[in-house]
Amino acid sequence: MTTSLIVFAVCAALAIVSAIGVVASRNPVYSALFLLGNLLTMAVMFAALNAHFLAVAQIIVYAGAIMVLFLFVIMLLNVKTEERASPLLVVIGGLAAVSFGAALLKSYAAIAHVALPAGAVTGSNNGTVKALGLDLFTNYVFPFEVASLLIIAAIVGAVMLSQKLRPHGPDKTLAAQVVKPQEQGVK
Amino acid sequence: MPLPTQDIPIEMLYVGLSAILFSIGAFGFILRRSSILAFMCVELMLNAANLALVGFSQRAQNLDGQIAVFFVMVVAAAEAAVGLAIIISVFRATRSIETSESALLRW
Repeated sequence: MTTSLIVFAVCAALAIVSAIGVVASRNPVYSALFLLGNLLTMAVMFAALNAHFLAVAQIIVYAGAIMVLFLFVIMLLNVKTEERASPLLVVIGGLAAVSFGAALLKSYAAIAHVALPAGAVTGSNNGTVKALGLDLFTNYVFPFEVASLLIIAAIVGAVMLSQKLRPHGPDKTLAAQVVKPQEQGVK
Repeated sequence: MPLPTQDIPIEMLYVGLSAILFSIGAFGFILRRSSILAFMCVELMLNAANLALVGFSQRAQNLDGQIAVFFVMVVAAAEAAVGLAIIISVFRATRSIETSESALLRW
């Protein structure tokens, strides 16, 4: 058993267990922490697959930013523990997921052994910052710039959506907003 | 499924793992009723797809798959920001984040 196979086995076990934990925990905070474990395992697997930049980006973007967002929303909304789903839904969902997974694995088994065509090999496979950056800023510079537009749209959308709804304008007049009379204020 | 595992390259094992993780995420998406949990399961599925892309990228010795993963991360971050803002505003309107409660648009 080689080292890479051991790394794969440990990561696979951790990833599957934490994914089941996300789905099965009734407390949403536990789900979020299981998701965090899954994302970190995913980063380890990226590193094992020579995708070094993506491993770091995974930790910063997912485990850092997105998880904080999730936990903030869970605590902001005070999400309660969910009651257990109905057994019928579990059976139907389980059947759907198992058949879907079987279809995926069947098509996977068809390609797992296939050798690459001779022309497909391009050489570099090291996903270092330098290699990825070179590719990103030459061949993929247009999608990269479009991504900035997307992020601007997301920022504006998030700010707009999380504003308080005030259909009739401000609640109070300016004068009513002043709580203390002026002579009681700080001189 | 009878798979002779000796001659499968290691990166293709990761692709197989990603199929399993994607199915778990899809199952959770069907099962969970709180929209924030459904959202987490979407993140699970996105990550499984990312893992498959990186695995194929390593298999083909080609960086294009990793570039695709980079853009998936960008889109997922934008999606998380907007999606959680939508969940908050739905909660403000209906005082609930159950997916079955927000049936305003159902005909």
